[in-house]
Amino acid sequence: MATARKDMAETAASRSNVYGLLAAVFRAEPSAAFLAQVKSSEFANVLESLDLSLGDDFQDTPCDQLVEGLAVEYTRLFIGPGPRISPHESTNIEFENPMEGTLWGPQTVKVKKFIEAAGLAYDELFDGMPDHVSAELEFMQRLATKEAEAWEERNEEFATNILKIEERFLDEHLSLWISRFCDKVIEHSEHPFYQGFAEVTKGFLEYEGKSLQAFNSGTGNGRGFPD
Amino acid sequence: MTEMTKSTIGRRQVLKGAGVVAAGTAALATPVKQAEAAKKVPRWAMVMDLRRCIGCSACTVACKAENNVSLGRFRTVIQHKMIGTFPNVTKVNLPLMCNHCTSNKEDASAKVPPCVKICPEYPGERQTYVTPEGKKIRYRGGATYRRPDGLILVDVEKCIGCGKCIDGCPYGVRSFDPFTKAGKKPEKQAVDKCDFCKHRIDNGVEPACVNTCQGRARIFGDLNDPESEVAKLVKEHNLEKSVLLPEEKTNPHVFYIDPDNLLKTAYRQREKGKLDHYVDTLDG
Amino acid sequence: MKSLNRRNFMSLSAASGAVLAAGAVDSRPALAGSVTFAKGGRDFSPVTGRERKAIPTACWQCVTRDSLIGFVEDGRLVKLEGHPESIRTNGVICAKGQAGVNQVYFPDRILHPLRRVGKRGEHKWKRISWDEALDEIAARLKPLRDAGTPEKFMFQYGRMKASQSKVMSDFMAAYGTKTIGNHTSICEGGKWTSQELMWGGHYDNWDFDKTDFVLIFGSNMLNTHTNHIPVAQKLIEAHVGRKVPVYVFDVRLTNTAAHADEWIPINVGKDGLVALSMVNVIMNEGLYKKDLFKFMKVSADRKASMDEKIAAVKEQVAKFTPEFAEKESMVPAGKIRDLARRFAKSKSGVVVSYRGTIAHQHGADQERAMMLLAAVTGNVNSPGGRCQGVGAGWKSPKSKHPKARALDINHGFPGQVAYPTHKVSNQVLKMIKDGRNGRPEVYMWACYNPVYVNGEVNENREIMMDESIMPFLVCSTIVYDESSSLADIIVPDVTYLERWDWEDMVSPTQVAEYYFRQPLIKPLGESRDFGDMCVGLAKRLGIELAWKDKEDFVRQSCEMTPGVKEAGGFEYMKKHGVWHDKNANPDYLAFETRIPASALEADGVIFDEASGVYWNWHESKAKTEAEAKTVGYQNTPKSYKGFVGQEVDGEVYRGFKPDAVNKSGFLEFYSELMKAKGMPVFPTYTPIPEHVEMAPDELHLTTYKVAVHTHSRTSHCKWLSEIYHDNPGWMNPKTAAERGLKDGDVIRVHNKLGGITTNVHVTEGIIPGVIAISYHVGREHSGRYGSGSPSPIPGVADDPDFNNKWWDKHGVHPNAIIASSPDEISGQQRWMDTVVRVEKA
Ligand code: SF4
Ligand code: SF4
Ligand code: SF4
Repeated sequence: MATARKDMAETAASRSNVYGLLAAVFRAEPSAAFLAQVKSSEFANVLESLDLSLGDDFQDTPCDQLVEGLAVEYTRLFIGPGPRISPHESTNIEFENPMEGTLWGPQTVKVKKFIEAAGLAYDELFDGMPDHVSAELEFMQRLATKEAEAWEERNEEFATNILKIEERFLDEHLSLWISRFCDKVIEHSEHPFYQGFAEVTKGFLEYEGKSLQAFNSGTGNGRGFPD
Repeated sequence: MTEMTKSTIGRRQVLKGAGVVAAGTAALATPVKQAEAAKKVPRWAMVMDLRRCIGCSACTVACKAENNVSLGRFRTVIQHKMIGTFPNVTKVNLPLMCNHCTSNKEDASAKVPPCVKICPEYPGERQTYVTPEGKKIRYRGGATYRRPDGLILVDVEKCIGCGKCIDGCPYGVRSFDPFTKAGKKPEKQAVDKCDFCKHRIDNGVEPACVNTCQGRARIFGDLNDPESEVAKLVKEHNLEKSVLLPEEKTNPHVFYIDPDNLLKTAYRQREKGKLDHYVDTLDG
Repeated sequence: MKSLNRRNFMSLSAASGAVLAAGAVDSRPALAGSVTFAKGGRDFSPVTGRERKAIPTACWQCVTRDSLIGFVEDGRLVKLEGHPESIRTNGVICAKGQAGVNQVYFPDRILHPLRRVGKRGEHKWKRISWDEALDEIAARLKPLRDAGTPEKFMFQYGRMKASQSKVMSDFMAAYGTKTIGNHTSICEGGKWTSQELMWGGHYDNWDFDKTDFVLIFGSNMLNTHTNHIPVAQKLIEAHVGRKVPVYVFDVRLTNTAAHADEWIPINVGKDGLVALSMVNVIMNEGLYKKDLFKFMKVSADRKASMDEKIAAVKEQVAKFTPEFAEKESMVPAGKIRDLARRFAKSKSGVVVSYRGTIAHQHGADQERAMMLLAAVTGNVNSPGGRCQGVGAGWKSPKSKHPKARALDINHGFPGQVAYPTHKVSNQVLKMIKDGRNGRPEVYMWACYNPVYVNGEVNENREIMMDESIMPFLVCSTIVYDESSSLADIIVPDVTYLERWDWEDMVSPTQVAEYYFRQPLIKPLGESRDFGDMCVGLAKRLGIELAWKDKEDFVRQSCEMTPGVKEAGGFEYMKKHGVWHDKNANPDYLAFETRIPASALEADGVIFDEASGVYWNWHESKAKTEAEAKTVGYQNTPKSYKGFVGQEVDGEVYRGFKPDAVNKSGFLEFYSELMKAKGMPVFPTYTPIPEHVEMAPDELHLTTYKVAVHTHSRTSHCKWLSEIYHDNPGWMNPKTAAERGLKDGDVIRVHNKLGGITTNVHVTEGIIPGVIAISYHVGREHSGRYGSGSPSPIPGVADDPDFNNKWWDKHGVHPNAIIASSPDEISGQQRWMDTVVRVEKA
């Protein structure tokens, strides 16, 4: 039991890491420091193991140069003019009633209320809409962190409850749209960096969906996660 | 079931001493004048004063905003038409919307307008309507139906999206709403049209188009209340027959003040399959 | 990519953790606080009831700026309605106002500062932070200021009013530049200059509540007017409710003309002539009212007797017989006589004129003819007449200003314009290209689209593309348009529904309304009010401002403005949105008020014999009293600022106080100022040169606006563009037949500036010899609903309503073939003087 709990704590913390990273990728243009870390051998190995590339010359291009190019690409992709893929839940769900899917629309309100019900507020300086992809990813990061803490503190009931909430947020929000959004990025990006991270995001959230479901329904491998 | 709320009279009154009110649209918009002691069920009606309509389309856009009407269709539009030859030419601006018809008086079998009559999902189960003073009236619901206060309404939950009512309406005011699924056949779109801003009038507030009409060309109220402006106008201008397509005998409840007899020449019926009434706005 | 399993998930996580741990993520988190669920038990229900708030604010789609109530649900703006307590609007708004929601949420809105990284016009951008943007702009502005050349920073605006423009000009003055351009010449600046030469102030209102007769020239005021909602509803009420006769002279059967008793078709540019011939009839038949003549200057002799004045007017208009006017204008002489008589005989009446009358060579003189018609019938500043507009008189905080400097590029080329009192915005880009009066090093604009809104669109684009003459371009905007796409830095402006302002637009009742604008929602994205941007720049430039931010500016104004202050100031306005003095009444015939003797004895007040003006020379640019006396009132710079009163028949009156030029206190028709510049001294008829030279196969090109759009700022609003998105040229059947054209044919409209291709709309509602093409559309860039494509680069359709967009025509823009050309009196852009040929394409 203790091992399982430790495993769960570790898993939650790990999941939180990935969410944190992905939130950062979509929040803003990458900084040189960030790119330097992404270029590290550890990260490079992971990408290789996943059969992903951030571009043939990614490793060799100096960070400063990458920063500039990626900033322009980020602007083109998400801010416009350019393909201007709206990085928001409301505009990426296929609704029964498409009117729900307007920018800052009823769906946005649902996301905002969900997040606020968890005791969080939007940072005063956060200038995105409440259902911005990075806000949702960060929310999952926060939940997973809290969950890890709960396991550490041996508060299993609370931890299990958070897991349920995580699954609910995925089911009601993030999973409904993330792959559609990522597909658009993969299609429209002219830079393998964003294509690569869109792949990771999509893949990770698919994995997450399965994992959480497995754990919550008790069909996992004991550690709650499918292999 | 609908509750009628009594409201105060006078468009200014509501805001007095209450700049910011946490309430619905109802709180600040113009209240509908209701008969204080209406013994009868109201009979909602609109008068369009063609002398006053300046063709500004504020009503059209107000309706879009109020009812979230998708692009490609309108619940109310202004039809423009030039009449005459230069230099003796004039122009009519004709506000159009659902006429909330009553029935065909001469056809005893039709107690409802053709759009309702043709609806395969009518009549449906019984519903209850509550008058302002609490009297309950039973009536037949349906995918499209007539409420006792005269509103012709669509119940999207019951709609099967067959479009029969669209063809059944001689005025062409109905259209499919790409944003709403037909409740009984979700693979189809539900039908939509003007509902006299039911959600507003049920709260004592006049419809959105009336609220914004700078010409005061749209007057809304209860025909059953002899003191109401609509009742007075209908009487004063003898508007009983001053309606669109009287030959259809649909008994509309949208009346036109039309001293120059322009209705007949100006009104163009919607062509089947064409965008709503939206014929052209070139002459704006 | 391989799919994830536990193993590669764990390594991805470890690597991710390393990135995060290295502190490499420097963006702030989106969420604050910590996750706080009660242990296990709490019912997790994010869905609470809907909350709908009603907040008073004000519209800004057009300059009318009607008071509004905004309905906000869960932080989302859902609906706008008129403010029922506004005495200006009585709670109604127009289609544009109703579509204000579209301004906030249109999917192509600019929400972040952007820096250009490609060539101008290449549409390559990089998002930057506000700090970077402000640092970069300040880095350009500081050296200019340090070098003592702050005037090389030019700012130009399209729509800034009330607190918006006060905040802007306070900042600009504190910085030290007076190189501030506007857009008034492309609007109706000529009308204002003309009024300043006659009755002093500018802006006329028509007392429709009391009037008995209405004559309208060149104005579709029921649909499109700078004070649309307030005046339109009063005109309808007068016409339908009180059966007041209304006659409309126009080239086109406008909605206003269609509602009049009669549409009187008139040839292009002949409005003034018809007014003069009506004056001719009124004078000759003795139908004039003497009341106002006492205060009118109609000849060189300011002391002329009543009889002499009447004789002088008669003589001046003698040649403008109805028969002559008929020949030129096609308005039948009989009609002119009939209307002149009925107008003069009615108890009161108004003469309305607008852009159709004004936007010509000598359009300002045509406006003088209109005023003359109003004056000889006693309908100036009188009940039921043409009245000087009354708006709110707000007080506002002021920062310390150095002596500001200006590049002389806002008043047209030297000698080009006699009285550019509202500047000559249509020549600004040409002046910059020319360079003789210097060029701005930094050109910033806001709520303006210089490429699109001026004539000669192609030249405008070329000039703005040229980095050698316009080295640094900054634009504050909400939309990526023809001009912002050429900027070096774009900063995202807020929409009017996200900002603070006090407002002051003219009231239709001659009683001022003080009203207010407040944010309905938190500004989207990183959008920031222009005034708050100024605060950011001021900080970087070491400039101290008298206000902390825009909200503070508005708050201070509320606390210092008499009336508003007593009512409860800022908090009152936040709650109610509107205020007016319940005891105020219209100040009719104020010009008849006597000036007390004490005012004439004040320090510095001297009498000018030539004009009969008492004025205080201290307020002028004169250095000494002796200089003031020798140079005299008319020729001392800024003498009008010291105007005290006008001597008339031995008494001193308030008269018609000047406010922009050194005119006397008379209602001036005989104008020494016009004479001094070689312009017609008395209102007259001057044929328009281009029209005189027209070949038989040429046509007039006239432009117009429709009710559902502003000139350039609404085409991205989907509900408006759905109604109006295409603008075929209107043509009379006779004119069309001469060219073998049928309705709908594709035509080419061209002249020496180039050509445009559009369709022809053959209609009985326009005079022969003309093609009329509206503004608003023909957008190169204006978002998916305006120009048809989401952005210059093919984008993603992620707005559900975009799938329902059914129109694929987006119109043409006539400005490409209209010269940027100013009226030589006022600088007014001559929109209606263009001559074209039209052929089947
Ligand atoms: S708002 Fe009124 S005046 Fe304007 S078009 Fe509609 S009905 Fe006519
Ligand atoms: S106008 Fe058409 S839809 Fe409306 S009630 Fe009459 S028939 Fe039915
Ligand atoms: S007239 Fe229309 S656009 Fe202008 S301020 Fe009023 S509502 Fe707004």
